[in-house]
Amino acid sequence: MAASISGLLKPWTPRVLLVRWSRYNPYYLEPEVRKEAYSRPESELSAEEKEERELKMLRPIKAATNSTTSSVFNDPLYLKFMSTNRFSTLENIKRKQVEKYHKATDGQKDGIECNPYVIFHQALENCKPVVTLASIQKGGKYYQVPIPLTGQRQRFLAMKWMITECRENKHRRTHMYEKLSQELLAAFEKEGNVIKKKHELHKMAEANRAYAHYRWW
Amino acid sequence: MLMSDSSAAVSPQICGTPALRRKNLGAAGPEKFTAEFIQKQVEEFEIGKRHLANMMGEDPENFTQEDIDRSIAYLFPSGLFEKRARPLMKVRLSADLCFPPCEAVQWGPDGRPFHFLFYTGKQYYYSLMHDLYGRVLKVEKHQDQLRAKGLFPTEPKQIALGTSRWLTKEELEARLVEPISSQDYECFIQLLERLVAMPCCSLEQQFVMSHRQQLEAQSMHQVVPPLQKDDAGVDFSTAEGRRKTSRGSVVVRDCGAGRLTVNGQDYLHYFPVLQDREQLMFPLQFCGLLGRFDLDCSVSGGGRSSQAGALRLAISRALLSFLPQSEGEAMRQAGLLTPDPRVRERKKPGQEGARRKFTWKKR
Repeated sequence: MAASISGLLKPWTPRVLLVRWSRYNPYYLEPEVRKEAYSRPESELSAEEKEERELKMLRPIKAATNSTTSSVFNDPLYLKFMSTNRFSTLENIKRKQVEKYHKATDGQKDGIECNPYVIFHQALENCKPVVTLASIQKGGKYYQVPIPLTGQRQRFLAMKWMITECRENKHRRTHMYEKLSQELLAAFEKEGNVIKKKHELHKMAEANRAYAHYRWW
Repeated sequence: MLMSDSSAAVSPQICGTPALRRKNLGAAGPEKFTAEFIQKQVEEFEIGKRHLANMMGEDPENFTQEDIDRSIAYLFPSGLFEKRARPLMKVRLSADLCFPPCEAVQWGPDGRPFHFLFYTGKQYYYSLMHDLYGRVLKVEKHQDQLRAKGLFPTEPKQIALGTSRWLTKEELEARLVEPISSQDYECFIQLLERLVAMPCCSLEQQFVMSHRQQLEAQSMHQVVPPLQKDDAGVDFSTAEGRRKTSRGSVVVRDCGAGRLTVNGQDYLHYFPVLQDREQLMFPLQFCGLLGRFDLDCSVSGGGRSSQAGALRLAISRALLSFLPQSEGEAMRQAGLLTPDPRVRERKKPGQEGARRKFTWKKR
């Protein structure tokens, strides 16, 4: 490698300090932590994936963060939601589900989901709103206009509502993880306060359907 | 008056006053190191080297550069701290010292420059661009000929670029021995891309490849710690790692049962938080070797998370000696073998922290 390129590979500070800069120079690529990505044979890959593999062979890779591992228990979405106290919530959910499972009759046993990660993902999906209201000014008055939401915003709102609801509306003597597990199970069954809030928002948006054309973007 | 038909070059100034013929020394410009000048300096250096060998009582034939350095240091002891300011006897034809490369005189005795693009100022760059454009035109002409004959290939053979990249601006400057601006460099790369994009460009394969630099695989840079055997015949390897201010080192022993000792304590006591233990297990779990090794770790400095990160790096490096090269490459692509360069950002004056500004007050 030329001297200039190896000079590029060290940790660097850009000459003009931008607001958002990183200690890695732009030559570094993101790491791929999952084990399955490396066990696929050559024949299964498409042309782009082969090119990507070639590129990865030649470029330096950033270090994996502290919170990621290659184990099956590593869930990036769940980490975003709750990085501290993680396993208490999941353990609680699991315990309740397994209790229910053992108490249920044989016919109902298939319907009970025991994997806490699946429950978490499904509960979050159920809580995601599809539209939200925005305050748009038209002719001196402000109207509540329904606007679509991006996936990122939906996820954020679902998580935010979940956490706020647990903080405020529950009994203060219970632990957070306990409250969260109750709420997540309720959301999984499509009951509970968060689902109610989502439905109310949808009803308001439906009521204000007439103003939808005020949106210009 | 008869002109003598000697073979000597005819001076253009056949008549003129001595004042005209006198060289204007003030307008000589910066000193040009011609090839003859450099050659003369090299010869003088050789003679001086032999004298020095005689002075020191050594054999002039086998007097190496290290001997010269030693002799000069003995004869001219210098207490200066800056190494480059000390007395030096060396022939270095590199750009930073002694003779900058290729500052040879560019014009003949009649003042006429050798290169036809001398007056552009960047003769080598423009001649390269001229050459490149000529090749582009040649390829286009070839394509037109093929089309006229009806032999234009439906699937033209492209140049196999492979794992290579274009020369960087610095490399190009080193080749052309003259400085070029970034716009010039971009024009050059654009013209090369245009040449490569043409269907029949395989004519100019060799020219294009001469301006490309081969990239080598990153995995070649990995230093694998040597696999050692202890008295009982068990394999083990040692490695170190660091993260922020923590320094950790680990001894990975084979034929173990998955026991981990950190600074003498069991890892469950030393790292009560689950996340740290997960980080320690990460390299082992990634390679599927969880129960095979015994780890003996020692770590100091930093906080719990950075100690865990330092140990993770140390474990990954130590594991390299037990694994084949493809697995090592997989570990590198998972980000296990890169030392994390993120450190605490300093606090700046006029701000409360590294990024946080003071509360803005309107008045």
